[in-house]
Amino acid sequence: MLLLQLLASGIQTGILYALTAAGFALIFGATRIFHVAHGATFVIAGYAFYECIQLGIWWPLAMLVSFVMAIASGVLMAIFIYRPIQRSEGSFFTVFVAAFGVSIAIQSLIQYFFGRGSVTVSSALTKSSKVMEGLYLAPILAVAIVVAIVMFTAVVLFLEKKNAGLGLRALSENPRLLEAFGLDSKSLTVLAFAIGSALVVPAAILTSISIGIQPSSGSRVMLISLAATIVGGIGSLRGAALAGLVLGIFENLVITVVDTQWSEAVSFFILFAFIMFRPNGMFGATVKR
Amino acid sequence: MSNVLLSIRGLSKNFGGLAAVQSVDMDLQEGIVTALAGPNGAGKTTIFNLITGNLVASSGAVTLNGKSIIGMKPHRIAHRGIARSFQDLRLFTHMSVRDNVLVALEPKSWFWQPGGKAAWKKRLEDVDRALETTGLSKLAEKRAVDLSYAETKFLSLARILATGSKIWLLDEPASGLDLNSRTRFVNILRQATAQGVTICLIEHNLDVMTQLADRIAFLDQGKKLAEDVPANILRDPELIAIYFGKSQSGH
Amino acid sequence: MINYILNLLTLATIYGIAASSLNVLVGYAGIFSITHAIFFGIGAYAGAQFALLVVPDIFLASMIGAVTSGVLSLLLALPALRVRGEYFVAAGLGLQMVGMTIFSEAHTLTGGHGGLVGIPAATLAGFDVSTPGLFLVICLVALIISLVVIRLLMRSSFGRALMSIRDNESAAESFGKNVPVLKTLAMAVGCAIAGVAGTLFAFNLAFVNVESFTLEQSILMLAMVVIGGVGTLSGPLIGAIFLLLLPAVLTFVPFIPPTEIGTVQQFIYGSLMAVLMIFKPSGIAGKTGDK
Repeated sequence: MLLLQLLASGIQTGILYALTAAGFALIFGATRIFHVAHGATFVIAGYAFYECIQLGIWWPLAMLVSFVMAIASGVLMAIFIYRPIQRSEGSFFTVFVAAFGVSIAIQSLIQYFFGRGSVTVSSALTKSSKVMEGLYLAPILAVAIVVAIVMFTAVVLFLEKKNAGLGLRALSENPRLLEAFGLDSKSLTVLAFAIGSALVVPAAILTSISIGIQPSSGSRVMLISLAATIVGGIGSLRGAALAGLVLGIFENLVITVVDTQWSEAVSFFILFAFIMFRPNGMFGATVKR
Repeated sequence: MSNVLLSIRGLSKNFGGLAAVQSVDMDLQEGIVTALAGPNGAGKTTIFNLITGNLVASSGAVTLNGKSIIGMKPHRIAHRGIARSFQDLRLFTHMSVRDNVLVALEPKSWFWQPGGKAAWKKRLEDVDRALETTGLSKLAEKRAVDLSYAETKFLSLARILATGSKIWLLDEPASGLDLNSRTRFVNILRQATAQGVTICLIEHNLDVMTQLADRIAFLDQGKKLAEDVPANILRDPELIAIYFGKSQSGH
Repeated sequence: MINYILNLLTLATIYGIAASSLNVLVGYAGIFSITHAIFFGIGAYAGAQFALLVVPDIFLASMIGAVTSGVLSLLLALPALRVRGEYFVAAGLGLQMVGMTIFSEAHTLTGGHGGLVGIPAATLAGFDVSTPGLFLVICLVALIISLVVIRLLMRSSFGRALMSIRDNESAAESFGKNVPVLKTLAMAVGCAIAGVAGTLFAFNLAFVNVESFTLEQSILMLAMVVIGGVGTLSGPLIGAIFLLLLPAVLTFVPFIPPTEIGTVQQFIYGSLMAVLMIFKPSGIAGKTGDK
């Protein structure tokens, strides 16, 4: 049945959206930095994986490289771009422009070396088999679900149990509390970027395996992360992830009603509606206007 | 008994379960300086926000010159004659000192201002006068972000002066000023009240309060505990204890 | 060769108008817009349709472009100007994406993916003004008029009100500024002028196509304003000239293949934007001493 098939692909897309959105929401929630270059981390992770596989590196190692590159790029941006700006002027505008600048620079760098087109990593995981009439599923869906559950559980446990996790939550709400934990805001910011960037990696790898990745994927990912963070509610990690999932499912299901080209536009209409009528999103704390 | 310009009755504000302001009554009379005193978190700035329309009251009435202003938007309340300063100043950072004051003089900011050239000249004169009163004339072209701390405090006052409003809500306007500047500041406020302005002042500095305030309203945890002349308030041992944090009202 | 230079100068002028109009939003009103290419595009499509369907009078077509773009800016302004910066950016990005989809799919209005082709040569009150030299003059006149309008507006009480909103919105409100209305007006003005630039762009190219109005183009315009210097009259012009001359200069660099010039240009202005924000947020022409 078409609906089930679309639901399946929607869940898969949604999981990828949820991961990237959660990463963005974590960074923004903890540091209040609008990390528009989050999409650049995504592309770096994806292309790192791709290039490693091309070079014949064993795939777990390739995944490791991908993680390292993504975390490094997030952290380096935090230290060398965001921190100096916040020290000097730090207005929303300046941070934003710088982030945009960085993402454009990275996108063009990748475009220079890898070309504009989409690249895919071939894998047996994408081979779909008939599960029932009208429904074809591939192992990658199961992988995505498992990976998402593992990563989310890990992050949530970290945020709720470990000192550093609590520190991250305190960072945005009450920085003075940090001294009580024996932590400082600088290293916590780096931690936030590290975890947030790491969350992107499985999504990037899975994307490169399934639909392929291209230099402009970064901006798309960033838009979705943004939309999901707002719809889910600023400050809520669960909200962002849930909203990402819902957006992914919705984007696929809506094809039954409108043409494919409009499915993305529909997602943004939803975003608009939330911004206008419910800026708190689904789970967010009350937002100061 | 002079005119009551602004009247508050039963003003309350709840945030979820927290009662930030509880049924406060207050009158601001022409030419009188009323100080709002009390420990941090007593609700003083919240009351200001309720008056200016930045926050919507949970219940109660705010009457300006006999008309209710509950539910009006902040910019409209400003047009009606309430001028308000902020604890963190909120100057127009990249604009010049002159423009900071000029902007305050032009509440309705369309392209064409009524009155043509004559009114424009008058506005410029008003700006110069405000700058002179606050001692900022020589700094007219400097950008607000380049001013010293004391100069920024006086610029904040100049903006208020320029509006010509008769109700001033000032949030710790003289905090951090040295003795000379503070004296100058207090004198400007005194001159204003002599011309009929009513000032409501949030202050922590006891000197400023005794020098300036005609009445002190003491607040704690959103409730007004007392309102009286400064001498009586400052002699009350219970209020002093609350102020310095040794006890809380109701204990 | 002469034609090449004239064309380059014409493009610089057109983008100068577009960047200056974006400066009204970003530099003077503090509205952070990354959708300006869409309004540029609306002006292009509107002006082009007018030329195709009625008369290719450049003045009339530009006015149609301005009005269409200014009015349609309300679509973004009304819902989104009341909310915080981050939300506005998100809404803007959304509009950019939706706008591009509409440009690609609304065949009757925009010619779909293929765009509108065969835009007739520009005329003014009956005279042909489409020769490269004359057209450049027309564009320069448009630029001068735009700059005069912008200067007049920004030096008026309207401009001061906008700047006060930019610098501190809550304080501006407490001094009587109706923030949503003023921001909406600023946006309408900025988008209307962008619409004029768009119409000129359409005439210059003789065709309009969605590829000219992508997110990258919006960011390029933002880069012109930011790199040149926000809140000044000359800043956007410097930015426009610099960023348009850049690809031309890059053709002379030996090891860059011609197909990659656009990519290298992007890398340069992307990096410049980031670096400038760290060291000199006010841009090349901006006033120094930004603390």
